[in-house]
Amino acid sequence: MKKALTSALVAACATVLAACGSSGSSGSNGLSGGSSASAGGGATVASKLVLGGSPEFKTRTDGVPGLQRVYGVTFGSYKTLDAGGPLTINALKNGQIDAGDIFTTDPSIPANGFVVLQDPKNLYAAQNVLPLINKAKATPGVSSTLNAVSAKLDTNTLAQLDVHVITDKQDPDAVAKGWLASVGLNKTGTAAQGASIKIGSANFQESVLLAEIYAEALRAQGANITTRLNIGSRETYIPGLKDGSIDLIPEYSGVLLQFFDPKATAVSSADVYAALQKAVPAPLTVLDQSSAEDKDAIVVTKTTADKYHLTSIADLAKNG
Amino acid sequence: MIQWLNDPGNWTAQGGIFDQLWAHLQYALIALVVAIVLALPLGLLIGHTGRGRWLVTVANAVRSLPVLGLLILLYVMLAPHIHGRGDTVYLLPTEIVLILLAVPPLLASTVAGVENVDPAVRDAAAGMGMRGGQVVRKVELPNALPLVFSGLRSATLQVIATATVAAYLGLGGLGRFVYDGQASQNFAERNAGALLVALLAVVADLLLAVAQRYTVSRGVSGRFSSRPDASTSAEGGPPELPAPPATHTA
Amino acid sequence: MTPPGLTAPPVLLHHAPTAGLAVDSSPGGMFSYFSDHRDEVLNWLGYHAWLSAVPVLAGLLIALPLGWLARRYRWTYPPLVTAAGVLYTIPSIALFVAMPELIGTQILDPINVAVALTVYTVALLVRVVADGLAAVPEDVAQAATAMGLTRRQRLLKVELPLAVPVIAAGVRVAVVANVSLVAVAGTIGVPNLGQLFTTGFQLSVGNPYYPPITLGIVLCVLLALVLDLLVVGATRLVTPWRRAVGGS
Repeated sequence: MKKALTSALVAACATVLAACGSSGSSGSNGLSGGSSASAGGGATVASKLVLGGSPEFKTRTDGVPGLQRVYGVTFGSYKTLDAGGPLTINALKNGQIDAGDIFTTDPSIPANGFVVLQDPKNLYAAQNVLPLINKAKATPGVSSTLNAVSAKLDTNTLAQLDVHVITDKQDPDAVAKGWLASVGLNKTGTAAQGASIKIGSANFQESVLLAEIYAEALRAQGANITTRLNIGSRETYIPGLKDGSIDLIPEYSGVLLQFFDPKATAVSSADVYAALQKAVPAPLTVLDQSSAEDKDAIVVTKTTADKYHLTSIADLAKNG
Repeated sequence: MIQWLNDPGNWTAQGGIFDQLWAHLQYALIALVVAIVLALPLGLLIGHTGRGRWLVTVANAVRSLPVLGLLILLYVMLAPHIHGRGDTVYLLPTEIVLILLAVPPLLASTVAGVENVDPAVRDAAAGMGMRGGQVVRKVELPNALPLVFSGLRSATLQVIATATVAAYLGLGGLGRFVYDGQASQNFAERNAGALLVALLAVVADLLLAVAQRYTVSRGVSGRFSSRPDASTSAEGGPPELPAPPATHTA
Repeated sequence: MTPPGLTAPPVLLHHAPTAGLAVDSSPGGMFSYFSDHRDEVLNWLGYHAWLSAVPVLAGLLIALPLGWLARRYRWTYPPLVTAAGVLYTIPSIALFVAMPELIGTQILDPINVAVALTVYTVALLVRVVADGLAAVPEDVAQAATAMGLTRRQRLLKVELPLAVPVIAAGVRVAVVANVSLVAVAGTIGVPNLGQLFTTGFQLSVGNPYYPPITLGIVLCVLLALVLDLLVVGATRLVTPWRRAVGGS
């Protein structure tokens, strides 16, 4: 009897929760309820879909406003989750959202058969991995060490290293050491002797991995390294770089340019890098960029792509 | 911050202050109602029978669980099993965490409230021919109400402050402003969000204080005499202890 | 699990296990996770303990005079206790990130978290101290006065010691709450056990990866337990008369 009562209670709670769940999603995170109507004529594909991503993607120039401006794409609603992290990926996989802002090197894209929508109008600028560093710490030896790392790092390598860390759960530091050894950058030297550098990372695993790669490369060259990993988003660690809490962090050229110059229009890798070198404020600077790229992408499941015949972001604006 | 709060658009927009205030209240109310349904009868039973006191100890031990860890643990456990649109996958972990926070203070204060009832009063009730259930409902519960309320107020404070973490899992509520404001460097929005949480907690506490005044018998609260004396507290018991302090964990 | 296209290229194989190697993702995997990351985890545990304990001590030192004030001059009780109550309801994550603006520290300085937690402890303990002092029986205070104790002697030698059990109960609550609050600061990069939660969270894409999460929870609970026992022990040390009466 008591057992029956308990299970009834649990069932009742679940019902209440579920009811609130559905009302909450429409009430708290909707973009504009009338978006489908404002598209004019028939409903667009996008208007039937829920887009998920980070809090800042909702307002960023190349985020939700950029999709509207460049492609005329307005999603039915926006679900605030995280920056290509577990919330967004799990939500896409399990159907809480239909499209997500996910980064192109993420191992979960091939692992789940997700479809990366093409970006023919270059809404997303080039995103080459590069070190953002405090100028005072960028001695010739430190710079040459980090530039040697960037010279060896390409997109394919980065994606594979991500698999080791995210899918195989290997320690980022061990993966970093292993890769440096495989490209001959683990040889000890004295290029960075006497340098004392605090390395930070953003709060996602690829950033942690890149920070460890920088750390181990510099350690091999005799630098004294401390790490502050998982600091959070750009909004937290850029001030940290400026006030000297950290000296060096792995960054991505395109988003970094957007951060320092929201009106920037450069899209190609070379243009972005050139603009970025001018836009980076003192006391910071960027070193050589690598050819490794990890950019924002609008990603959908295979089912959604097949259902609406989606291959490019532009297809989302079609009537469906 | 004042400017941000003064912009009517920030209040009425979809996902604006009114929406998030309502969402925040919903998260808190669900947790509190469930916690009361669980803890009040259980606390009365434990206090009345004097058996199962270990449950209070267990509930208090639950307080040492880290809220963030528990939230993440529950989310990653549930995520692969909940499919389709809707916020259930975010709401269930949040509510479970909030309920776990609310039950210990409610249970402990209810048990303490019943145990503090003057044995003479209980004897008198039995002498008048009341049965166990009647004693609980007509004597022990009314006499325990002041302490029950102090537990409820402490639980409410905790739940409202902690419901902020709902936004960490992608839900709404006032925490949305705190996290979004931080993520987009809109510090006015972030600080306003924090202030609104604090204000909501204060208002809720005031409302409960008023409710307490109207539901607690004047014979128990001692408001019938000009100066309360010790005769209402348990005879020979320790000097009246202050209410258990509220804790919040997020 | 991993599609063939994702396995490591030959150049990477010689140093890293292949993608097919089994990883223990179950909660029990926390033991091997701990031994694999021992230095890092112990470092976090140390920071966590420091950030949980020091603000409580600092907060107690500030709350004692404030609580005394609220007791001594009754009109200060309502504003002090109300202000403390409001402070206590400010969400911790907001206070952590707003601290640099308030006290002019560096944005990633752990001192931000320490100060914020001190604020919470003061907010919690002001009322406890005031109420604890108020709970000292009037006849005891009068007896002390009759024995010729000055006001200050009476406070330090009689009232405060008698209020210790009540204050200690508040300190225990503060310590345990702090252990949980410190973990929240892990989400903004302050090194502590909270980083185990965020790491486990980030690695739980598709399937749960429990080891860091359960390890973090277990260590937090153990830390709370140890700190709580320390407070209990310290309380027994400063209240020898309670042991004499209570027996063991």
